[in-house]
Amino acid sequence: MTLAGTDPSTYLPIFLMLLAAVTFAVGTVVATTVIGPRRDGKNKGSTYESGMTPVATARKRFNVRFYLIAVVFLVFDIEVVFLYPWASTFANLEPGSEQALTWLARILFFLFTTVVAYLYGFRKGVFRFD
Amino acid sequence: MTERLAYLWPELSLFVATCVVMVLGLSPSRETRRLCAWVSAIGLLVAAGLAANAPIDSEALLPHLMPFAKLLIALVGLVLLMLLAGTVDRDYEAEIASGRAVFNALRSNRAEFYSFFLFSLTGLMLTASAESLIWLFLALELTSLPTYVMVTISTRGTQSQEAGVKYFFLGALGAAFFLYGFALIYGGTGATHFADIAGIIATEGMNPILTLGMILGLIGVSFKIAAVPMHFYTPDVYQGAAASVSAMLAFVPKTAGFLAIIVLCALMGWRYGPGGESLPEAVRMLLWISAALTMTVGNTLALRQRSVKRLLAYSSIAHSGYMLVGVVAGPGSDPARFTTNGIAAVLFYLLCYGFMNVGAFAVLAALRRPDGTEADDIDDIRGLCHTQPLLGWSMVLCALSLLGMPPLLGFIGKFGLFTSAISAGEIVLVVILGLNSAVAAAYYLRLVVTPYLERPPERDAMGVQRVAIPSRPIVAVVSACSVVVLVLAAQFLVTRSAIAGRVLEARPPASADARP
Repeated sequence: MTLAGTDPSTYLPIFLMLLAAVTFAVGTVVATTVIGPRRDGKNKGSTYESGMTPVATARKRFNVRFYLIAVVFLVFDIEVVFLYPWASTFANLEPGSEQALTWLARILFFLFTTVVAYLYGFRKGVFRFD
Repeated sequence: MTERLAYLWPELSLFVATCVVMVLGLSPSRETRRLCAWVSAIGLLVAAGLAANAPIDSEALLPHLMPFAKLLIALVGLVLLMLLAGTVDRDYEAEIASGRAVFNALRSNRAEFYSFFLFSLTGLMLTASAESLIWLFLALELTSLPTYVMVTISTRGTQSQEAGVKYFFLGALGAAFFLYGFALIYGGTGATHFADIAGIIATEGMNPILTLGMILGLIGVSFKIAAVPMHFYTPDVYQGAAASVSAMLAFVPKTAGFLAIIVLCALMGWRYGPGGESLPEAVRMLLWISAALTMTVGNTLALRQRSVKRLLAYSSIAHSGYMLVGVVAGPGSDPARFTTNGIAAVLFYLLCYGFMNVGAFAVLAALRRPDGTEADDIDDIRGLCHTQPLLGWSMVLCALSLLGMPPLLGFIGKFGLFTSAISAGEIVLVVILGLNSAVAAAYYLRLVVTPYLERPPERDAMGVQRVAIPSRPIVAVVSACSVVVLVLAAQFLVTRSAIAGRVLEARPPASADARP
């Protein structure tokens, strides 16, 4: 018995996909150089060609709090992402069975770790806006 | 899956301690903040107690590995904790105590430092109890990620920040390697659970994808143990970090790496191959070359170092090479005998290395130059046996043990590696190991001669002084004593490691539907 992973023919779709990706990338570059219009001007040379006119440089100091908020948000974000697969599987388990209780205990433990993270953030003063 | 919980009580106790420390360390009250080290110590003691009574996992490839490894981790962890105490926030706490500053949680690093240390040890214990590739990957990363931050915050200087950045990026490279390797192992077998993978390899043999996966996995993990070809970061990182953190770096990731390597090799089994005597040839060659190069590179480059931390970093590379010899040798024909079981020799050597290496770094951590910086240059320990007899003799004993001097603990460790490699028929590797031990004598003896035979600098004011943290000299002395005293218990320890190093034969998959 050959393993699925060692049979080269099973990789054909991947190679086709790779071929398509390379063709598309090369094709668009060639196409824009051949048929694209070339007009230069003030707007063309600005930082955001079709956006707002920049008013200052990007090298501005931001309050470190923005990064802390971003990190705190990430904790919550990851938590929610992991809740989805859990929830979709949990619905299929027999209510009240030992397996269902185990799964519930696991996710409660997982949620508990978030509580610890937020408690830490609270003590660290991340939520103090003054 | 739930029954797996029975093995994880030591990890859970460390996790609880981590959560408590994380919150306590940010308390506005100075007395509460001081509790961090004590809570960590209690967590480690409880973990040690639980690990000593941990059940045996008869399903695993190395059924007795878990209790041994976790107890070893908890005990060396306690010594490391004593050494790490007081590394961060010393000046800041002093300012607060004298009323020159108010406590600001955002400026304080104490909570993070202790909880990251405990997180790292939790990851290390989880590596020992890993039962699938995903678990192993997550455990290895949980071991390493906190250490990157610990390196960075260990001193206030820019050197440790540079070290932290280097360590982080190269660590990410290593992680990418072994993650890709693990993906290929899954691709080659269609299983992530170790029992399934081992069963498939036992019945169907290796295939090219699987071999490539194992090779990439082993190369990636060699970052953790600082072995060639992933050793480049070691001297810079060890020198940039505070000596106490370097001591931890030389033990914690190295142990995790060796546990992972032993598990990966156990999946293939040392009885694999046409002759039925060794690992698959490609993997064996990789480990063989890596062992030989790691020893030689580490020892050769250590010869010309003036910085003691860099010297110990290169010595840490060399010791990884020594231990890889044990991995190449494998568990041998009679795993119950320590002298033929290379895995037991590796596990025992990790224990020896843990103590003697922590001792050597503790001496450095316990000293400071008159300008307040850490002792690092070889001149700093000149004549130390005359100015600071306890620390000086600790350095002498630890260096002699690292060298493998007969009555000391390091000798017994190296003895196991030699005999297991000889009984496995790896004569060339044994010769390289012997030559390297001779080369290593040149620089370890410098660590003996400089404190003992040479005179201290004339002007006392210029010399190094002991730091005002009493736990550090204690760690140095305790480690130096254990290098001597544990020899008396060697019979017991050797028997325990021979049991822990027993590798079971892989069983064929129980049923066809075990594979997806």
